[in-house]
Formats: sequence, C-alpha cells, structure tokens
Amino acid sequence: MAYAYLFKYIIIGDTGVGKSCLLLQFTDKRFQPVHDLTIGVEFGARMITIDGKQIKLQIWDTAGQEAFRSITRSYYRGAAGALLVYDITRRDTFNHLTTWLEDARQHSNSNMVIMLIGNKSDLESRREVKKEEGEAFAREHGLVFMETSAKTAANVEEAFINTAKEIYEKIQEGVFDINNEANGIKIGPQHSTAGGASGAGGAGAGGAAGGGCC
Amino acid sequence: MLSRFSDVLQTAADVLAPPATRLEDFEYHWKMILNFYQNYDENSKLHVEETRIPHHLHQMLQLIVDEEKEQQGGTVGPCMEAIVQRSICLLDALCALAAAERPPGARALALTTGTALLRRTRQPCVNSAHVYRPLQRMLIQCNESPASPTEKEEVELLLTLCGLVRKEPGLANIFTTPFVEDKSTLLSIPEDIQKLIPIRSKIQTPKKNPLFEVELPPNPLRNVSIIRTGKDDGYNATSSSSADDNASCKSHKTVYDDNDKFLLIDLLLSYLNSADNQVVLRACEGIMIVSSLPEDDIANLVTSCSPACETIVDKLAAKYKCVPANVVASDVEHLNITWAYVAQDFGDKSYSKFHGYKELTSFFSWLDYCDTLMKECHPTIAAHLSRTFRQNFLEGVAENGITDLHHAVIVTAILAKCLKVVDSPDLINEFSNWLVGDGEVNEWPLLHTLINNCLTDNYELTLETLRFFETIIEKGTEHSIHRVVLGRVTSRGYFAPRAPDDDDERDRLNDLSLGREREYNREAMKQLQHEDHVNEQITDILSHEGLDPKVHDEGSENIHRVINSFLLLLPRAILSDPVGADYEHYIHDAHRRYQYWLDATSTFHWPSDYNWVDTTASSTHSYDSRPEADIHLDDAFEPLKPDHIVKNDPKHFSQKLVLRSRDLTSQTSEEEFDEGPFFKMIFKLLANMPNQPYQVNLHLTSIISQLALLPHPNLHEYLLNPMLPTAKKTPTLFKTLQEVARRLTMEIPRLRNFKKIIENTRLWLMSEDPTYDENADHNQLVESLIVLEEFCKELAAIAFVKYQHTLHMHR
Repeated sequence: MAYAYLFKYIIIGDTGVGKSCLLLQFTDKRFQPVHDLTIGVEFGARMITIDGKQIKLQIWDTAGQEAFRSITRSYYRGAAGALLVYDITRRDTFNHLTTWLEDARQHSNSNMVIMLIGNKSDLESRREVKKEEGEAFAREHGLVFMETSAKTAANVEEAFINTAKEIYEKIQEGVFDINNEANGIKIGPQHSTAGGASGAGGAGAGGAAGGGCC
Repeated sequence: MLSRFSDVLQTAADVLAPPATRLEDFEYHWKMILNFYQNYDENSKLHVEETRIPHHLHQMLQLIVDEEKEQQGGTVGPCMEAIVQRSICLLDALCALAAAERPPGARALALTTGTALLRRTRQPCVNSAHVYRPLQRMLIQCNESPASPTEKEEVELLLTLCGLVRKEPGLANIFTTPFVEDKSTLLSIPEDIQKLIPIRSKIQTPKKNPLFEVELPPNPLRNVSIIRTGKDDGYNATSSSSADDNASCKSHKTVYDDNDKFLLIDLLLSYLNSADNQVVLRACEGIMIVSSLPEDDIANLVTSCSPACETIVDKLAAKYKCVPANVVASDVEHLNITWAYVAQDFGDKSYSKFHGYKELTSFFSWLDYCDTLMKECHPTIAAHLSRTFRQNFLEGVAENGITDLHHAVIVTAILAKCLKVVDSPDLINEFSNWLVGDGEVNEWPLLHTLINNCLTDNYELTLETLRFFETIIEKGTEHSIHRVVLGRVTSRGYFAPRAPDDDDERDRLNDLSLGREREYNREAMKQLQHEDHVNEQITDILSHEGLDPKVHDEGSENIHRVINSFLLLLPRAILSDPVGADYEHYIHDAHRRYQYWLDATSTFHWPSDYNWVDTTASSTHSYDSRPEADIHLDDAFEPLKPDHIVKNDPKHFSQKLVLRSRDLTSQTSEEEFDEGPFFKMIFKLLANMPNQPYQVNLHLTSIISQLALLPHPNLHEYLLNPMLPTAKKTPTLFKTLQEVARRLTMEIPRLRNFKKIIENTRLWLMSEDPTYDENADHNQLVESLIVLEEFCKELAAIAFVKYQHTLHMHR
C-alpha cells in the first residue's frame, strides 16, 4: 500500500514491562497474557493517518534483557522514534529509565523522538510508581509521557500516533533530513522530493569551500 | 467434532472422579499423541493443524509452565522431571516429528514447540542430555535440507538456544566436541522412539554436510555441568541444577584441537546463506549474542573451533564482488545503511534507487554488521575478525582494484566509504595499517599507489582518491597520521632561521601581488581601503571573541598578522566577496571541528600544545630559536596541569630533546627539506588549482584544512604560519598559495568582463544547483579563485580558533 512516509520505531525498556504486548495491541488489536520471551528483536508494522497523509510505521520490539543489549543497540541507529517503556507496578523498571535513556541518546541520532510510557495502568491496585513521577521524569528529560495499558488498549493508539505526530512535525520544521535514511524516515513512493529541502540546503555560504566537515 | 466430544467426556469424568494431577494430565496428552501416530496412515494428506496434535502439545507445554510457577527453590516439577528422566520422551518425539514431517506441517510445529518450551520456562533444563540431545538432533536433521520451508522456525530455535547460552555461558559446552555425537547418531532416530512413533523419517540419505565431519566414538549419555572448571574458576552458575541423578560431567577442555567443533556457531553460519533476509538476520543476531559473551573460552571456541570470522568476511568479499563495475562513484557516497534494518527494507519492492543499489546496500549492510559485531564482541574475536577482514577482504580482494585502472575509481570510492562508515577501533586500526603499512616501513606500495592515483590526469580518480585521503585523515589513528602526514614534519627540518637583517621575509610579506596592485593607483586606493576593512573586521572578531584588541601583546599582534596574510592573499580587485560577510560562520565551524580533533587525538602521544603556544607568533618577530621558548613555556605551565602528566613520559621528553638538537643542527647546515610524498602531492595539486575541476579543488582544500586543524605543533606551524622562516626551496602551504594567487591575479583580469563572470560563478556555486555541473558555461579558472578565496577565510578562522584555544588554556 502506498504511503507518504515510513517511520522506524523501536520499543525499549526492561524485560517484562509489556513491550511486546504494546506492539501486539497496536498492530493486531489483541492482548496475549502469555508471551514468549523476546530474544533479539521482533517486528511489526501498521499504517496510520496524520494530517491526511498515510504513514507507515515499522516497529521493532527489542529484548529487554541485559543479555541481548548488543543487538538492541544496533537498532537505535536508524530509528526515528523510540517508546521507552516501564511498568507502573514495578519500581525497579522505573529506576532503570536513566540507563535506558543514556543508552538511547548515545547510540541514536540526536533527533530521535522518545516517548516515555508507563504501562499496565489497568493494575491500579498494584501501582508502585505514581503518574506524577513519570510526568516529572519526562519533563526533566524532555520526553513526551503517557500511561498505557496493553491489556485494555487504553492510550496504546495514542502512544504510537503521538510519537508519529511529533516526528511528522519535526519533518515539517526541517529538523530531520528526510533524504538521509539514517534518520529512520523514508519518503514513500507517492511522495516525491517535495518538502524538507530546507533541511538539506542549509549549509550556508561556507558551503563552497568549507566542504568537508567532520 | 469427535475431539470436542472427548473433551466433554473428560469434563464429565472430572466430575465423577477427583481431578487428575498435573502429571496425569501430562501423561494423558502424551498418550494421545502416541495414539495418533500408532494409528497414523502415512498416505493421509491431512495437515498437522487439522489434527489434535497441536492441541496436545500446547497443553503439555502449558502444564510445564504452570507447574514451574508453583515450584520453589530451583526444583523441577514432575512434568519437567518426566522429560529430564525421559520417562516421557517429548523432545525425542518432537525430533521424530520434525524428521518425518508427518502429518505435513509437523516439522514447523515441532520446532516452534521446542522454541516455546525454551522461551516460556525459566528452567528448561537444557543441560540435561535428554533435553539437549533431541534439540541438537532436531537442528541437525533440519539443517540437512538447506533452504527448507521451515528455515525460519529452525533459526528461531537456534537463536533461543543462543539466548540461553548468553544467560548461562556454561551451556555453550553442549555444543562442543565431547557433547556433540557423531553425525550418523545425530541423523538417526533412537529405536525406542521409532517404536513409539512408527513413521518413516523423511531424511534417509543424509547429504554431505561439511559442518559435521567429526568422527568420535559414541559417548555415554551425560549431563553437562554448567559449573566450568579450568580457567574461569570464578564462574559459577547453579540455577539449573536439575532434579535428575545423572552424573555430572565437567569440561576440562581449554585447548582445542583441529577436530573440535562449536556446533552452535556452525549451525548459525549455515543460515547466513539463506535467501530469506529475515533468516539471515536471525542468524546474525545469534552470532552476535554468542560472540559478545565475556567468557574467554567461548571466544576461543568461536575463533579456533569455528570458521565464523572467515565465513563472515568471505561473505563480505562475495557481496563486494557482486557490485556491478559500472556503478556511479558519487552514488556510493550517499548510502546510509544499518544492517539490522535492511532485512525489512528489502521486502519493499520499490527499493531500488539506482543501478547497483541493491548490491551496494547488501555489501554495506554486511560491512555494518561486521563493524557492529566487532564493537560488541569479545576482544579476542574482534582482533581475529579484523585481521581476517584485512587478509581476506582488503588484501585478498579489494587491493587489486586500486591498481587496476579500469576499476580504480569505483573501488576507491567504495573503500573510502567503507573506511568512513566503520567505527570499531580494531577495524579502523587494521584498515589504516593496510593503507599506510605496519610499523616503520620505508616504502608502502599501496600508499604510494594512492598518492600516484591523485596525480593521474584522470580527475575522477583524483577526486575519489582525495576523498579517500580525507577519510583516512578523518579516521586517522596515531600511526596512520604519522605515516601519511607527520613523518617528515616532526623533525622540523622545514625550519631555517635566517639572520635578522635578511629582508627576504619582508619581501615575501609585501607580496608581489600587492606590490603590483599598488602600481595601479585607483585600484591601490581601493585595496588599501579593503585592507583597512579587513583589519577592522579582524579586530571586531577578536574583541567579539573576548580578546581585547587594545592589549597589544606579542601574541595578539602576531595572530593579527597571520590572519591578515591569509585574508589579504588575493587582491581585492578579483575577490568575489570583498565584504567577507561569513567569517563568523567559518569561525564557528572551525571551533566545532577543532574540538573534535582535540577529543579525537587526546590519547595520541603528540607533543603537548604548550610548546607551540606562540609558534604562530614569535618566530617572525624575533627570529629566536624556538627551543628556548619551549623550555620557558614547559617550565611555566606544566606544573599547573597535573592531568597532562601522562604527556610528559620519558619517551616524550626525549622526543623533545631530539627536536631541540635537530634545531641546533639545522641552524648550521641548511639541508634540503623533503616534505614527503603526501605533501608533495598536496602541494602539486594545490599549485595546479586553476587547471583543475571545482570538485577536486574543493576536496583538496578540505583535506588541507583538516590537517591544519590537527593539534600537532609542527604541523601547525608548517601549515599555518605564513611568516615561518624556511629555506628558499622548502615548499610550504603559504608559498604555494601565493603562487596560485599570483597566477590568478595575472590571468583573471585578462578575461573579458571578468567581474561579471566572478559574480555569476559565485552565485552558481553557492546555490548548490545540481544542474550547474552540466552547464557548459562554467569557468574553471574563476571557480578556483572562489575556492581559494573561501579557503583563505577558512585557514584564517582555523588559525584564529587555535590561537584562541591556547589563550583559554593559559588563563
């Protein structure tokens, strides 16, 4: 199916926070309580519409366990967006966010949009991390924040779509160089090179002789 | 319908009799499976999904998962125990199903069930022979028929095992020689299973698979202890000490012989040739998981008992050979490929942008994999892999292309791109050493060839080779930068102080171009105004950057002169941008790039920058000998900088002493300075700027500006000090630039309507209009003028930024 843009996403976070379930809920609209442990990376895709434009989301669901970090790292590079997920019923998954964020910032391109997700909001009775704490963390690190439930599907659509909206806005602002696929964005077949040109040509007057930059 | 009925009966039975225990349930489902096969008609076309087999397997799996939740203290529940003790040989049965593929679809089912068992349970007891043997057998039997429709499931199971090994490295043992049976045993189904599941195996005549040529006497069944002995006594994992009584067997092996195999990696390697990119990706992930284990003996297994590194590099070489020879070099430059995403992208049919795109993408994604693997894996593997990369790819395959003039352009472009994208220190090292030679060799043929390729009359080759050199410097190691650039400069042989009354220096500064200009009065007035304007601007910049221009110390006066020399190199009359509105941009750019170089070279054993705090400055003013300044500054600043003590190691110190004694000798006898082949080439091309295409000049000046940014004291003064006293014959950057300026000053005013041409050319170049290249109307001479003009601004900015940095350091 034709699309205007293709965005690459990754889902990261500790093991057992519900990354695979979020993906399954978003792509298949179902919840699977028993899920196999993710080894390496799983893949899912869905089409969404923003601003009347068809956008294809390719989503890579990564393994949360430390043992597979070497693989996860390969996916940071070349992703336009990341969902950083923790489990509101497990404090430790919230405490590890800083490490995840450092890892992501170190290995990804600087424009990557990161959305913070507190998952399992249906388990209110077992909550260990307050919503305000999630909000504060997101504010402090410049992330967008949202609590979701992969089980009830609450906010799941919004989480993926809002991330896409933010990426889309960045494209409109010329922040992303859409011609560079390392940014995790691809222009679809129905959409030629229009737009985004402002991002590429901004090298300024020095472009003539200042050529090689490092 | 019948099966639903039996479920109803079962429910009814539960009501009448007490509910069965979990083990009884487990046995019930097992018997149902055996019943099915006892009555199975081999001619049946029924697909496995249409039978009850998936249901029973799923139930058995669920029972194991459920019982594990209730188990405490690492013990194993009765269902799992039945498997470990082989009273219920579920895994052997799965293996038989996979081998027979009866009913159709059974193989995929067996593989996914095996995978699910390993992924859903915390303790799958893989160290038990009754678990790992059937798994090994299943994998090898499936592997016998390459490109089978179940490749995906096979590689998933393998990857799952890799994951288990990653968590319990001791499990790697079950894939090594003493625990892997010989081939014929692995390819057969145990007799008791054949009786239970009486279907003929599909695999009857095993094809020759070179992976398993190990001939070993059959071993008794044994468990693998994951408590390893030998080198890594510290390692101790007890989490899956299972409930069985089998005697543990420990691996004492730390040295491997030629016959030893590492089955896990060998199997993974066999999937690298799959036509399915997803399968290849999974195999790549598996290799990465195992290679990144911190255990030394697993790393040794990978390097000495498996052809992993060789296979991976050979695959790179094969992909390289597939790239069509007529790919356009400039297409190579813009590729940006991440290995992990390519598998998905290749599914996209619209995924071919230009001729050779697919082949190039395939090659560079594999290179990215090699590079990522080297960054993530154990140092032993990284070292071995990078050596193999050099031998089997660079030397074995790529090197010929550089000397072969038919392909040199595209080969150079591809190799330059390779070096540009790689990131692993091991790989960069081997790559650089291949280019410049290891150790202190005098002549390195490849480097020589590259330098010569820059000087051919094929500008396309010049351009690509210059790009390559740009990358070689950008990715420079201490060794490679020394070999290419610094080799001759560190001796400071270019330095030739003259008597203070020597007017040569002043003559040179009052450059011919300026002198000639002054003869034309009207122009001279404008020139003078222009000079005043430039001076004002420099003062502006200096004060803007927090340097008080009113404080006329020696340093600030000299930096003023350096900047002046560059900015006033070309006379105003032929400047395309006499206003010079973009100095700020150049300064900003130079700042950023200089900081990059300071970081990148921070571990290099280069003389500390205190030595050259005033090299831009003092040498003209008083023609003092620098060594004294060295001593003075060293004494003054080094005690203040304890964090730079490393730089004062004895080796350094002696280097400085050598440098000083050399200075003394060079004062007495003025020997001819040889700038080395690289600088010879650079200066030659630079002098030829007016005759060369714009792109060549652009990359040439870009290389020089990169070199000028390097924080090395000798290189700094050699390139950036226009007042540097040298012997007449010693070529320097500034002398060469003057020559070019002289020529342009003579030739450009002869063009009809030259001011208009200059103006238009500038507009075109700045517009970065892609159609400009095809426009026949461009004037190479004027283009080179504009490059030179901008280059001078850049050099001035670099000199300024470096000066400013030293000031900050000493504040």
